[in-house]
Amino acid sequence: MTTAQYAGKATGQARGSKSDPGTRPVRRRRPVRRSHGPVGHSRGLAYLLLLPAFLSVIFLLAYPLYLVFTLALNERVGINFLQTREMNFGFANFEMVLTDNRTWHAVWNTVVYTAGSIIPAFLIGLALALLLNRQFPARRWIRSLIFLPWAVPGVIVSITFLWMLNTSFGVVNAQLRNLGIISGEIGWYTDPDVAMFSVILPTIWKGFPFFALTMLAALQAIPATLYEAARLDGATKFQLFRFVTWPGIRGPAVLVLILQTLWVMREFDIPFATTGGGPAGATETLGLLIYDEAFSYFRVGNAAALGVLLLLMALAIIVFARGPLRKEYF
Amino acid sequence: MKRAARGQVMPFFSIVMITIIVLFPIYWAIVTSLVPTHIVLSRNPPLVPPLSAMSFQAYVDVFTREAIFHWLLNSALVTSGAIVISLAISVLAGYSLSRFNTVAQLAAGYTMLLTKMLPVSLIVIPFFVMFTTFHMINNPIALMLANSSVGVPFATWMLKSFFDSIPRELEQAAMVDGCTPLGALWYVILPLARPGISAAAIYLAIISWSDLIFARTLTQDPDRWTMPVGIQNFIGEYEVEWASLMAAGMISLIPIIILFILLEPFLVSGLTQGSVR
Repeated sequence: MTTAQYAGKATGQARGSKSDPGTRPVRRRRPVRRSHGPVGHSRGLAYLLLLPAFLSVIFLLAYPLYLVFTLALNERVGINFLQTREMNFGFANFEMVLTDNRTWHAVWNTVVYTAGSIIPAFLIGLALALLLNRQFPARRWIRSLIFLPWAVPGVIVSITFLWMLNTSFGVVNAQLRNLGIISGEIGWYTDPDVAMFSVILPTIWKGFPFFALTMLAALQAIPATLYEAARLDGATKFQLFRFVTWPGIRGPAVLVLILQTLWVMREFDIPFATTGGGPAGATETLGLLIYDEAFSYFRVGNAAALGVLLLLMALAIIVFARGPLRKEYF
Repeated sequence: MKRAARGQVMPFFSIVMITIIVLFPIYWAIVTSLVPTHIVLSRNPPLVPPLSAMSFQAYVDVFTREAIFHWLLNSALVTSGAIVISLAISVLAGYSLSRFNTVAQLAAGYTMLLTKMLPVSLIVIPFFVMFTTFHMINNPIALMLANSSVGVPFATWMLKSFFDSIPRELEQAAMVDGCTPLGALWYVILPLARPGISAAAIYLAIISWSDLIFARTLTQDPDRWTMPVGIQNFIGEYEVEWASLMAAGMISLIPIIILFILLEPFLVSGLTQGSVR
């Protein structure tokens, strides 16, 4: 087994250099064509190994998506659609959805919720990554603890914040009273003016660790010699960040920003478990509205049409960000 | 020397402060679950309650009154099933994507992007339609498959990046020595890829264990619920028992915390290479 152990060590080193974003090879420009494969490998094997994944994508992604579009374009559709299979092709669902004020309210809420969660989470993540990149005692444990919120299930995050921000008995209202900031109580989840903030807060709490994690990895890949050289040239702290740190992490930072934006746009668990869209629709995002239409009002066609709308919004972001995506993602 | 020491103390201090703030919600949930309701349920709850008041009554209550044991078992079953299914698929696919330059590589990238933007509350509708047709509502296999639909693309991409870091010469050497391609994958590459596979497994575990919407929609019988559905159903009750609710939350958090702290180093190396994408 000694050979394998040695190989494992070599792999570890190879991995260290691999995560350096500056030197990561872009696949398209790879000098050696890989299609020939190693000795004994054949193209047939390549596709054979992909077969289970292909089947799972077909049955669990492509076909369901096809169903969504069929439902969206099917007028007067019920949930037992697969049994009846009657197709009344038309755009009535879209017409109904697009002329409903509730839809546009939900679109606006989705934009506020996404931007309000992503921007603070990104800034906190960046600051933390810079802080955690230094040497300090118990680094491994502290890093684990700070990243922990990322792993906490959305429902648990929700009940914890529901309790902390409880109007009468919440610890947050009590402490704000003790500090003299408020005199009465804030209805964090019952006041339509602050409810959105109270839904965004747990989303930030669950979201910032992932930003910190990716940017920390990018920071660790910046060679220390770059900083030394810049310092020798008399760079200030700000110049160090502007000309050494930021160029080193810009690629991964922009990529994770785009992908997390797509991810939060479709977030369901936290808005659903905290407010369920209330009070008075103040926190109703598109993700919630889709679910409500399908499983509370049984208007599956409308739900599918709303889903297509949300997908189009995500697509617009992808088209808008295609430059950095192409550079960093593929 | 003195300057260096001072330069280290301030960041360390601020990091400790941040850690305390970040972990406060979890701390408060634990406190609430451990002290009698009358202490916490007050206009001005003490931030550090007296140790002598501690009791595990809420945990006893939650186990005797709710079907929490069922939910835990269901969650464990669904999560392990989803991990096995997704890993079996993604190890093979990730290896293929890493070693061969096929059209599938680009397709896999786009699929990843699609799953990132696909709303779960949308995809659950066709799942509900499909699994109703196949009479698979209340069936844990439906939940395993639904969770795999989210997990497979991520895990595949993560594992592909990890396989990329393992030199191809290793399996070439094995094949020169008479190993079949699949044998080389099994005996040479998989043992080396253990950190990557662990990271993918944790990632899948966290996704499936956290899932609310699939379980809520695709199970109707309360005995078939998973932990998140059970806990979410607590909130709907007209008078919330906060101590029991927090106790239930902490019970379902313990496995995740253990997994996460044990395997966090793998996660950092594995995640940073793979699932960022």
